[in-house]
Amino acid sequence: MRIDPALAGRLAEIVGDRWVLRRHAQLLVYSADGLPGYRKVPALGVLPGTRDETIAVIRLLAEYGIPFVPRGAGTGLSGGALAEDAVLVGLHRLKRIIAIDPDSRLAIVEPGVVNVALTRAAATYGLHYAPDPSSQAACTIGGNVAENAGGPHCLKYGVTLNHVVAVTALLPDGSLVELGSAAGEREGYDLLGVFVGSEGCFGIALDITVRLSRDPQAVRTLLADFTSLDAAARATSAIVATGIVPAALEMMDGATIRAVEASIYAAGYPADAAAVLLIELDGLEAGLEADVRTVERLCRDAGARGVRTARDEAERTRLWQGRKKAFGAMGRISPHLVVQDAVVPRTRLPDVLARIHEIGERHRVRICNVFHAGDGNLHPNIGYDATDPGETERVHLAMGEIMNACIDAGGTITGEHGVGLDKLEYMDRIFSADALAAMCRVREVFDPDRRSNPGKVVPVHSCREWRMTPAARSAGMVTAGGA
Amino acid sequence: MTLTPPTGAGAGAGVSAAAAEVRDVVREARAGERAIRIVGGGTWLDAGRPVRADARLELKALAGIVEYVPGDLTLTALAGTTLAELERATAAEGQWLPLDPFGSPVGTLGATVATASSGPLSLGLGVVRDVVLGVEVVTGRGEVVRAGGRVVKNVAGFDLARLMIGAWGTLGAITEVTVRLRARPDVDRTVAIAIREGAAGVEGLLQAVRTAPIAPAALQLVSREMARHIGAEANGSAVMLIRLCGNEEAVGSQRGVVAGLGDAIDVGQDVWRALRAVEPADAAVVRASAEAGRLGEIWHAATGAGGVLAHAWVGTGTVRLMESAQQAARLAELIGRMPRVNVIGERLPGELWSRIAPSMVDDRLSRGVREAFDPDRILNPGILGEANR
Repeated sequence: MRIDPALAGRLAEIVGDRWVLRRHAQLLVYSADGLPGYRKVPALGVLPGTRDETIAVIRLLAEYGIPFVPRGAGTGLSGGALAEDAVLVGLHRLKRIIAIDPDSRLAIVEPGVVNVALTRAAATYGLHYAPDPSSQAACTIGGNVAENAGGPHCLKYGVTLNHVVAVTALLPDGSLVELGSAAGEREGYDLLGVFVGSEGCFGIALDITVRLSRDPQAVRTLLADFTSLDAAARATSAIVATGIVPAALEMMDGATIRAVEASIYAAGYPADAAAVLLIELDGLEAGLEADVRTVERLCRDAGARGVRTARDEAERTRLWQGRKKAFGAMGRISPHLVVQDAVVPRTRLPDVLARIHEIGERHRVRICNVFHAGDGNLHPNIGYDATDPGETERVHLAMGEIMNACIDAGGTITGEHGVGLDKLEYMDRIFSADALAAMCRVREVFDPDRRSNPGKVVPVHSCREWRMTPAARSAGMVTAGGA
Repeated sequence: MTLTPPTGAGAGAGVSAAAAEVRDVVREARAGERAIRIVGGGTWLDAGRPVRADARLELKALAGIVEYVPGDLTLTALAGTTLAELERATAAEGQWLPLDPFGSPVGTLGATVATASSGPLSLGLGVVRDVVLGVEVVTGRGEVVRAGGRVVKNVAGFDLARLMIGAWGTLGAITEVTVRLRARPDVDRTVAIAIREGAAGVEGLLQAVRTAPIAPAALQLVSREMARHIGAEANGSAVMLIRLCGNEEAVGSQRGVVAGLGDAIDVGQDVWRALRAVEPADAAVVRASAEAGRLGEIWHAATGAGGVLAHAWVGTGTVRLMESAQQAARLAELIGRMPRVNVIGERLPGELWSRIAPSMVDDRLSRGVREAFDPDRILNPGILGEANR
């Protein structure tokens, strides 16, 4: 992309010279996110340090008609933060927690606040921020809003959408709008609801008002040990059907367990198990023991060899550490790791898991399953060597078949990672042409020139009423958001 | 513009027969430049602002459960299915759809979603936006759009389903809805606590429940007049209604905690049915909401002078007020006493709409969204108070 040489200088006037990235070596740092195998070097990078600087940067980019990609911590797993022929706008310096209101259980944060930092700040009030993606020690709330991020505890507490009450959005044309309301429900279209999860295509969340949740009075963490994936899947269905809503209900298969146990995150999982369920029950102390006994019984009825409850906080932390660091543990074994994300109806888990196993065998790829079983949210992961073209091709074929198996079971192509670049090719399979065209039109309400995170989420051929955007005209090219 | 039939092959891509029928009606209306009033059960027709329409699109006949998998705790039904029918079908499996909006139980699922109507249970079990997994709509362009899906977690594409919830049909006529269900609790018990007179009485109680070890499914303040109407009166004062759901031990322990908060009496579950149907047929009804921590303040503004039918959601900070049609202007007066609130009109006499609840869809983005789905403004025009083009 041709960038007006004067632009970098004018950006430097806003943010200071050291926060404008021009050199290839600087830009390489921002050329990938958590999705392996994709690398796009941004045309230019800019890292504003304040709200006002961010507004000025976006207004300047609007003046030049230049496409841009907002980025938080870059932990996303769908290629959504990759910037090709665009200016990368890094928001991780905007990390102020502006206010916490314990009476109303609300917090106002800047987009670069790290997820776990908010929970730490709220702890003194006996409150926490409920959505907890596995990357919560690094990922930002702004990124969570863009992706409508989930996490293990979303089974009981809901995903990001359920915890965001208002956003001040900076639209790609540089204007500011208030979406939602901290003062509770309001009339009119749920613009906030469609902004959350728009993957950076609608603009930037400049400040975010989120709901905080009360810390539970009591927590019990159980580990159930199974000799087959099928038995663990049946136990999952049985637990969900009783009406007990666990705070989390996670499954790890044998391959994952062994990867974790061989790493520094070894959690004491039974190394010979075919699957374990990590089940957390929380809430009021009274009545919790009764639910624990019910869950234990259901696991044993489904064929669990053993069910143990963490005796203390240290053991609980250790059990969770193994789960949250499972991706890292797998990364030790293979140079590259695809972390896949799909959802199926919970009752279909046993047959879909069997199908995934069969697909892996046939394509000779090593699949590890570690996922949010209670939601039916699968994460079949494949470790491989991306420099080996043969293996890469087999991984790609296997992933395609797994996605199709999930769609055929009545599921969807992503439960929490987003479409980004990675899932574009499946959008036609789950949405009609009319639905995709409607998505294109809604995007254009927020971003008529399609300059914010171009080319992501909706396949470009779906935007029927395509027209050459001003951005594309001035750059003498067709933007990725175009045809 | 040419209309292309859906080409996708996946689960979400098909068009139901019901939607195809509605699509033909909408296309015909669009071609003939006629505006449509969308009608569900017809029980809430006097809600919302007046509609300028040439024809009615009745969706009551589009009724029935399309798919119900109890093990998944999800259910898909046509929009005209009544809440009473869903209640029956799910009770047979020990489950429920925890939406308890105000009005008649023959209200439809489609209307509940279109108006984003939820009731007291929304505190513990979620508002409509938390409960709906997917919708099928026919847009004002005469296109069938399936948004969301049938699984409990889904971030594929822009979330068009959220836009349909609370749009009052102005973006599309809802033909089908998928919801998440809950298992019915073992024990479901309701307790009323008398609220002492004056602002301090309410504030003290609100402060106490904020930190008490209870997790109610519903928690409502009910004005003295309202308490009398629904049979939840305690010593002639306003009350707090606390609904406790869970296993025997959890509910028993919370009942004990509640007893320590004030004069607590057990009341039957009928109070909730009574509350949902309390307003007089011609009543003007309005909701006002503020940050949860300011509920005491707006509750006092609404009820301090007495004589008002009111109830409020503790935890979300919303007050719902009603008056007879003749006394409707009094609502404007009460709302005027509440600083910085969001106001939603449910039913108001014509002249009060712009005074109490000015339109919230005349901003640039809302107009753009309407244009995207209903460029000719043929679906329920006027119901959101939007300006004529």
